[in-house]
Amino acid sequence: MSAEAWLIVALAAPVAQAAFVMSLARPPGLRDVVHIGFALLMAAASIALVSAVSAGEGARVALVEPLPGVALAFTIEPLSALIGCAVACLGALSAIHTAGYVRATEERAPARLMATIALSTAAAMAAIYSANLLTLFVCTQALMLATFPLVAHGGGAEARRAASTHLATLLIASMGLLLPAIVWAYVSASAVDFQVGGVLAGRLDPLGANILLAMFVLGLAMAATPPLHRWLIASSAAPFPALMTIQALAVVPVGGIGVLKVTLYVFGDALPDAAIAARVLLVIAGVGMCYAAVIALSKQDIRERLAYAAMAQSLAVVMGALVALPAGAFAAALQIAALACGSATMLMAAGAAYAVTDRLEARDLHGLGRVMPWTMAGFALGAASIIGMPPFAGAWAKLWLITAAADAGLPWAAALVGLASVLMFASLGPLAANTLVGPAPHDPFKRRDGASALLTGPIVLSAAATLWLLILANPIAWFLAPILGRTP
Amino acid sequence: MTWLELARAHADFLIPALLIAGAALCVVAPNGRTAWGVALLAALSAAVLSCDLARRGLFASDLAPAADGIAIYVAPILAICTLLILFAAGALALRESDKKLRPLEFALLLTHSGGWLGALFAHDFVSLFLAVETAWLAGAGLVAFVAGRERAALNGAFRMLIAGAVMAGLMLIGIGLVGRGLGVLDIVALANVPVATPNLVALGIGCIILALALKAGAAPLHLWTGAAFTRSAGGAALALGAVGAVGAIGVLLRVAASAQAAPAISAAIAAGLAALGAASVIIGSLQAIGAKSLMRLGAYAIAAQAGCALIGAALGSTAGFAAALLQLTAMAAAALALFGAAAALSAAPTLNALDGLGRRAPLAGAAITIGALSLMGAPLTIGFLSRWRLMEAAVHGGWQWASAAAVLTSLAGVFYGGQLIVRIYFRRASAPTQLAGGLTHWMLAPALAAAMIVILWGINPALLLVMSEQGALWRPGQFP
Repeated sequence: MSAEAWLIVALAAPVAQAAFVMSLARPPGLRDVVHIGFALLMAAASIALVSAVSAGEGARVALVEPLPGVALAFTIEPLSALIGCAVACLGALSAIHTAGYVRATEERAPARLMATIALSTAAAMAAIYSANLLTLFVCTQALMLATFPLVAHGGGAEARRAASTHLATLLIASMGLLLPAIVWAYVSASAVDFQVGGVLAGRLDPLGANILLAMFVLGLAMAATPPLHRWLIASSAAPFPALMTIQALAVVPVGGIGVLKVTLYVFGDALPDAAIAARVLLVIAGVGMCYAAVIALSKQDIRERLAYAAMAQSLAVVMGALVALPAGAFAAALQIAALACGSATMLMAAGAAYAVTDRLEARDLHGLGRVMPWTMAGFALGAASIIGMPPFAGAWAKLWLITAAADAGLPWAAALVGLASVLMFASLGPLAANTLVGPAPHDPFKRRDGASALLTGPIVLSAAATLWLLILANPIAWFLAPILGRTP
Repeated sequence: MTWLELARAHADFLIPALLIAGAALCVVAPNGRTAWGVALLAALSAAVLSCDLARRGLFASDLAPAADGIAIYVAPILAICTLLILFAAGALALRESDKKLRPLEFALLLTHSGGWLGALFAHDFVSLFLAVETAWLAGAGLVAFVAGRERAALNGAFRMLIAGAVMAGLMLIGIGLVGRGLGVLDIVALANVPVATPNLVALGIGCIILALALKAGAAPLHLWTGAAFTRSAGGAALALGAVGAVGAIGVLLRVAASAQAAPAISAAIAAGLAALGAASVIIGSLQAIGAKSLMRLGAYAIAAQAGCALIGAALGSTAGFAAALLQLTAMAAAALALFGAAAALSAAPTLNALDGLGRRAPLAGAAITIGALSLMGAPLTIGFLSRWRLMEAAVHGGWQWASAAAVLTSLAGVFYGGQLIVRIYFRRASAPTQLAGGLTHWMLAPALAAAMIVILWGINPALLLVMSEQGALWRPGQFP
């Protein structure tokens, strides 16, 4: 199959997944097979796309042209292929875990939950493979709308309020900041295509470049840059499979790659013109990372704690993208993959624990590793990666980020990243340790058979992925070299 | 010259004349069904003629005498809207308890539309005044039509009459001032005749624009809209929203384009339009957010959209007028979708009545949703396209604040449009609302047609973009 065909499969598979899951909602076995089967197909397509990019192939799929000279188009290049592959492969693990979760919790509307997850994944994949700013904007809008029912899935006034906060924050940021920024870039450069080296070089005065960069970064509120991070916290009331989609597989990664694409492919060589805005945003992101880590420490609800942890990780991506050196962009790309792996692992583990023990409070997880060793070992490995402990994926991303910041003459930015890691250790380290070494709880399971293989299998594989990234760091650097200009 | 060629050559006269003649025939028709048939035939003929005129005028540059690009662009919108509204009005009347079609209602609808089309093709300010007042009085008559069973409709009609009378006086004063300042009353003459007394002419044009803005329902001159839209029958609200407001803004754009072409007064007119547009965007958006009924929400949202069109006209450039024309298309489609679906549900549904509508009436829910998405400026809808074009024109013209106004409209749209979508799909009806049966799908025809247009032209807008650019290029004062 050609790379174009694989790209179409990667984009269409989750849409078909949603349609088939809804139409084959019963029997549950068939529904789960369809859900997992299409997720595996999407993962296979994304791996084929990585292979195609490594072989120097390109692919572009254009659907329609809603504006003169600007098509709704998708393409593959190293960055999108890498992140698409990470998200799709984790998506397959998440699909298996979701099948186990809805069975263990006897979910009220499992087909609707799975279909909405599939639609969110479809929008996320489309955003990741977007070929220009307009496509990115359209796909992020679709992603916001698709995740709204995920947040509201629990039903009730509180879930609806959370979903409204989630949607309103993201939509206001994108309509109020991102869209005008895109129009401005379009008027200035007469193009909105993503190009290595950027499209804005020499086309904006420094004041315009600074304002535009701030509008882009804040407009991409999916990256959770303060003060537009409330949506992430509000969404933490959603069920665990939905949280995985929001924090690990769709919304947060799309925010990260969006910021990275803007700095690499829209600003490119023009980024130094926006140095003031970049510095200010670096301060906001760095302080935001520390703030998120501190607040996470105060949260007992495991979903809220993990939401703040995801926010801190996402801000690390923003920092990497704004440092603008090859090392910074590489750190940001690696951080997106590490964030996806780490967050997905922790959320799957916490979800499995909730599904079989009904425990949501951090203190209630103590000692659970003695009765759910695989699950809680995965939780601990995910936490180690999020914290940035070697040799897990997060450590490499943080190391590159600190190096890039120091190389760019921004030691304070490096210090902020280090401080945030220490605070994150305080937030997640003791928790992870206590789950493993604390005294075993009495009668922990609400189900006699404990966690099924559908629940624990994906956690083990996802946790292992945080280690695989250690081995893959060098090949990834070579893989991304064409867009970074040189290997970092 | 064959009859057909003669008709095409005089299409600018024949289009409104067909509708007025159709109205006269409706009044003398022996029964309601015949009147409905006559009205549909008249509207269909006008729609075909106006589409042919648009094809010739915008693509083959074969402009009929005295027809400018704006009139040629807006005329098919009005004619097609009229056809769809008539279709739905007949179906709505058949749903009523007496199942009786009312010829006078069709006559008023045709007169309303014929009046606005006449104003679009008017040569001079006096003809324009007469046509506008004809349309306005017919509109008031439509609102009052259900007074027999809904006395509050008289309140809406009364407000329309009072506001319309005041603004008719203002328009007459404006026409007098323009005539005094220019010596002629030809609309296009503004661009060609030297203006000896620019202040007088600018004041006159300002009065005319204010009067038209009131009739379009632009804020803060929209005191009549709440009562008129909420209390009238479904067909009347559709006509006021999709034909009245769009027609009034279309006529206003013609006058504004002509005035903008006169260097002596263009700056003053631009400033006035910009101020009025900004006020309409802000006030309309805020009121739409606080609205408690779908009709009021739609009326205020249209005021906000009209503000965007006024800002596009204020820019004075071809790109600005093209954006304004696109905005008019989006306005018409959103009005058809929202008011059409609302009319099919009940006369004036409250927002609570929309709870869970997606399950109870999926087609009506989809039409309202698509209309709301277009009002929000969501991607792949006409609303997005018009907003994008307006921002593009504003940034090109260095009017960053105009771009901000477009953004504000979208942001407000997120609140009030999002509220509709949440109610339709994410809430359960607290007390199940009785939905009309039987003819629901027929009554939804305009709403569904508009929803399809919103999406199809949002996805593939090449034709619409060419038409709007040609229409703006050949606006009054620009074509020879």
